Amino acid sequence: MKSREQEYKEIFIAEALEYFDALNRHISDLEKRPQEDKLLAEIFRLLHNLKANAKAIGYLRISDVSHKLETAFSLIRNKELQFSDEIVTVLFEGVDLLGELIHNIDNENYGEPDPVLLRNLDIIVDNLSDSTIELAKVQRYNPTKNLSLSELVYIQIKKLDHLLNLVGELVIDRDRILSISRELGNDELKSVSSHLNRITEELQYSIMDARLVSIGSLFNKFPRIVRDIAIAEKKEVDLALSGHDIQIDRNILQIITDSLLHLVRNAITHGIEKPEQREKKGKSRTGKLSLVARNDRENVQIQLSDDGNGIDLVQVRKAIVERNFLSTAAVEHLPPTEVLSYLFEPGFSLAKEVTEFSGRGVGLDVVKNAVDAIGGRIWVESEKGLGTTFILQLPTSIAVKGALLFEVDSIFYAIPLIHTEQVVAMEVSELHEVGGVLVADVFGETITVVYLHELLNVKEREMNLGDKSRLKGLVQNIIIVSYNNRKLGLIVDKLYRQQDIVVKPLSKPLDAIDLYGGVTLLGSGNVCLVLDVPAVTRYFISRRQLVAAE
Amino acid sequence: MPSKKNTAAQAAPVPVEENTPAPANGKEQQEKSKANEPLLHLIVFKLGAEYYGIKIEQVKEVTVTPSITRMPRTPDFVKGVANIRGDIIAIMDLEERFGIKPVPASSENGITYTLVIEAKEYSIGVVVKEVPQSLNLSVSKMDKAPSFLQDIAVQENYIEGLAKVDNRLIIVLDMYKILSGDEIKQLSS
Repeated sequence: MKSREQEYKEIFIAEALEYFDALNRHISDLEKRPQEDKLLAEIFRLLHNLKANAKAIGYLRISDVSHKLETAFSLIRNKELQFSDEIVTVLFEGVDLLGELIHNIDNENYGEPDPVLLRNLDIIVDNLSDSTIELAKVQRYNPTKNLSLSELVYIQIKKLDHLLNLVGELVIDRDRILSISRELGNDELKSVSSHLNRITEELQYSIMDARLVSIGSLFNKFPRIVRDIAIAEKKEVDLALSGHDIQIDRNILQIITDSLLHLVRNAITHGIEKPEQREKKGKSRTGKLSLVARNDRENVQIQLSDDGNGIDLVQVRKAIVERNFLSTAAVEHLPPTEVLSYLFEPGFSLAKEVTEFSGRGVGLDVVKNAVDAIGGRIWVESEKGLGTTFILQLPTSIAVKGALLFEVDSIFYAIPLIHTEQVVAMEVSELHEVGGVLVADVFGETITVVYLHELLNVKEREMNLGDKSRLKGLVQNIIIVSYNNRKLGLIVDKLYRQQDIVVKPLSKPLDAIDLYGGVTLLGSGNVCLVLDVPAVTRYFISRRQLVAAE
Repeated sequence: MPSKKNTAAQAAPVPVEENTPAPANGKEQQEKSKANEPLLHLIVFKLGAEYYGIKIEQVKEVTVTPSITRMPRTPDFVKGVANIRGDIIAIMDLEERFGIKPVPASSENGITYTLVIEAKEYSIGVVVKEVPQSLNLSVSKMDKAPSFLQDIAVQENYIEGLAKVDNRLIIVLDMYKILSGDEIKQLSS
């Protein structure tokens, strides 16, 4: 795999060559129609971009020549310089020189550019009226000039989506073929299928790789946004960015863009205090905002921290009761992480004032839905007076997910690993019936446990989630899932293995059923339902509330 | 997801007798109708004790019902999902959907058939107990559903018309309307 730097360089060269081709075209046109402002503007733009790109990546010679040419064209544009034959020749030479420099970026033996040409350029740029351009030396024709096409192609994300879908189908068929070949035990088939296996895997990862973009492409938009919001809010904010190079699927980045923007707005309008207030609290006038991306196992974690007000747990607890989520008694014993998780409930907002940038009724629940939709997780940590941190955990790729396979009532299910915390086996005697549900002590933590068969298959009228006697067998396999800072243990009939699965979204009309995030086909050809942990958790909560209401 | 529009009735393991008229469809039926009158091509199957028909354009294929994976917490008329040539589609039980009393299956081997229906926005499979038949009739043989049927039928106007062929009454369904908005909502709740 190529290094980032190498990749950037290739992108620069490809772009630069494109600019070079466009420059040649426009400058030839300009020679015929010297009065056309549009052409001049376009040439100007191309040179300017080339200069900036070259400077950014450290090719100073290219940026220098571009700069000189840019200046020359700006003189022509301002009518301070005539687009005369002499000058045209020098400018063509200049553009050629650019091409030569771009082609020879890697060539260490490439000497210095022609000093005469450089001087001629200088003469034009410095607008020395006594024309001393040495034409004789400038007139040359480079017969070694090759025609070459760009090393890069642009591709619509739609086409990559299609490729990814096809590979998804291929992976499913591959699994099926592998499993058939194991059953048949034919050596030739075995060797072909193992080759197919390798190729498919490589194809899959290549396509996933082609869809990756660096998070920097999103992060780089934030300094300006933060500045604008800060000014509107009369606040002083310093934004620190890190982890630009972390790679993530382009569509995932697209989906969380609005969410991240929303969180940043919130942090500035509701988190960070006005400079005077900060000083009173003994903080620096300027608030600190940091946006950090890092790889976390197979996922990408994005962390947004501010050093502002923090979230007042007392207020949140009060709001939970006011909005009838929980009773006063229940709220008191709620651990802080769970209290904070209520911030993501629909209709739960602490913002009192509506400002230009925040508090337009779009709450954290919308952010959460977006993160849920791509199979990610979000949670918040906060300390009153010290600041708030939002953490988004996102899959690197949409297509393939690590998942845990299991069986309930002879149906195969999968749960994406991003939602699983741990798997434990427990005897029935370790489960306790408390307040209409089952609870278990898992490494010192009391966790609510639910028998999935009861939750999914028993008629709603006859459902009893707090009845231990409905469990089959002595030892229960429990998958502990976590959603919105709340843990829930799911008792399953049979636990299988961990496996990378390709999730196929459910097609209409089944896509309306939110209990399932999709389906996948197992090697055996069986359909396996992918449970949507957020929806299962919500369903469990709604059942409990119904029971409590009766 | 790549759709396979062209597989319609092409690789169906069960022979859909497209050109052979179904037993009850006397040949004279077609001869009697004027030559230039447009024909209606139906796939006819039995639900309960009545015959139902779906226009062939709406039927993508007919196949022996594959193994169905039940989907818990979906309405009763959703039997589950099945893998049909790599597409995962919902399998519906129309008897359940229309509240038709099922008649004990006549086929002793327990084989059922699935019509894969391609509606505007979705594909669904419909399970039937007997081999579906193909039937041609002239458009004039079909009456619009009686108005009182349409009236009471608030969301039940999935009945496009009634066709009389010999002594059989065939209820022609409009598959595009078979899942009403309410039911799609019911699916999601």
